[in-house]
Amino acid sequence: MSYYDIDSILTDSQKLPCTFELEVPGLGILEGNAGEDIKAGTRIDLPLWLGEMLSIGARLGTSRLVTLDMPDALSERVMNALKADPRTLDLRALAPHFYNLSERILELFEEEEMVDVLTDTFKKRAAEIADHAHNSRGAVGDGVDFLRGLDETERQLFRAAHDRAKEMRIWSGEARRK
Amino acid sequence: MQTYQTFLSHALQTNQRQYNAGLRLNWRLNCILFVMAFPLPRGVTASEIAFLAEMETVTVVPRQRLESLELLGGPVEPLAPPRRASLPLWLALLLKRQRRANIIPPPWLHPEPLSLILDVESQHQDYQNAFSPPPPLPGQPSVLDRDAIASAKPQYTPDGNRYYPAPPFLPHNTAQTTSSRDTPSLPFHWVEVGNLLLDSASDDLVDPDQIRRLLKDLREVRMSKMRSGVEVLDEAATGGGGVALTGVGSMELGEERGFITGVVDGLRRIGSSKEQARREQMAEQRAAGGYDATQDEEEDYMEF
Repeated sequence: MSYYDIDSILTDSQKLPCTFELEVPGLGILEGNAGEDIKAGTRIDLPLWLGEMLSIGARLGTSRLVTLDMPDALSERVMNALKADPRTLDLRALAPHFYNLSERILELFEEEEMVDVLTDTFKKRAAEIADHAHNSRGAVGDGVDFLRGLDETERQLFRAAHDRAKEMRIWSGEARRK
Repeated sequence: MQTYQTFLSHALQTNQRQYNAGLRLNWRLNCILFVMAFPLPRGVTASEIAFLAEMETVTVVPRQRLESLELLGGPVEPLAPPRRASLPLWLALLLKRQRRANIIPPPWLHPEPLSLILDVESQHQDYQNAFSPPPPLPGQPSVLDRDAIASAKPQYTPDGNRYYPAPPFLPHNTAQTTSSRDTPSLPFHWVEVGNLLLDSASDDLVDPDQIRRLLKDLREVRMSKMRSGVEVLDEAATGGGGVALTGVGSMELGEERGFITGVVDGLRRIGSSKEQARREQMAEQRAAGGYDATQDEEEDYMEF
């Protein structure tokens, strides 16, 4: 994750449900009604970077502005689905940067079990990705549905494996250079 | 006149400041665009690996006389027609294409040893998840006679310095290297050397079609082994297990490098919070239990 990493910038803007603990005057613009106040107990989806900043009081021990909740992409329902079968789930529909998001979330929450589920998911899906990437028909085949559901990290993996396999075939003369 | 000058310098200054701000913004944008426009592939490309493999020494039977050549890597021996000579692969291929020499295929590039290795890779119990062993290094006993104490034979530079040869200067691809009792094994550059010889010197090989088929099968068996290794990479990320890549060729490494490093990195990032917690817990334990040297050593060992 570097400063210029476009994926980390996009991960920062993913929405996170937050609940305001205090009344904030003049911040109604976040809710859509500019000029109003925000009442305590309001639930708003805030970008990750903003929610993280506002909830930082929790770590300093002072009263905090907002409490964070789990985003829908990492809800209990999704975790159960991942436990059942990691391969069938469309991670892209849940969050385009699913793994980057969960990495950031896991820094905020202590979820031992979620780490295990996600690790297992990533491994199983990576093996599947490798098989698809070495298929000479590439992304057009039976695996279209699975490949459409890859998140950004997985897409990069697919690209790395696929490009290398293709380059190898071109070098050894099995395939033509396009 | 003076007012005009003041105005001008003021305007210039403002301009300069705006320009600087714009430049800084542009700089970041350019960096992002640059990274997006030229995603340089990680690692070494296939043609670069093949270029490195052309350093390998092979045995040729020359058809024409040639004086000794002063190459950067040292002089090559003079070619006198009936006598065999060892040349770097690139030079041998050049002479082969000009019909000035015939290449003697390396001992492993024959149908029998290749099918033997393929059997070991696909059937043998011990090699379900491992790769067939690489050729023994000098000073290392071969697989057959483990008890034999082989000692490395040092070689000497022209200045009299002693050195032990290491790949790629070990002749794995010359005709006379292996004695008959050695088990056949694939050298580090087997994919590249095999492919280059099949392309340019197929008439010097014994049954090139079958060799081509066997090389393809071998590659597929070994590739699927490498990919199935992803399942245990998880322990590698947390410092426990790992995948043994002993005997894997350079081209195979180059092909899988991007994928495997990507998987390891992804697993590390997902598990980083757990790892952090584990480290904190360990530090707490250490602080609570006081300093205990033996325990400390053990923990350090576990960590790496």
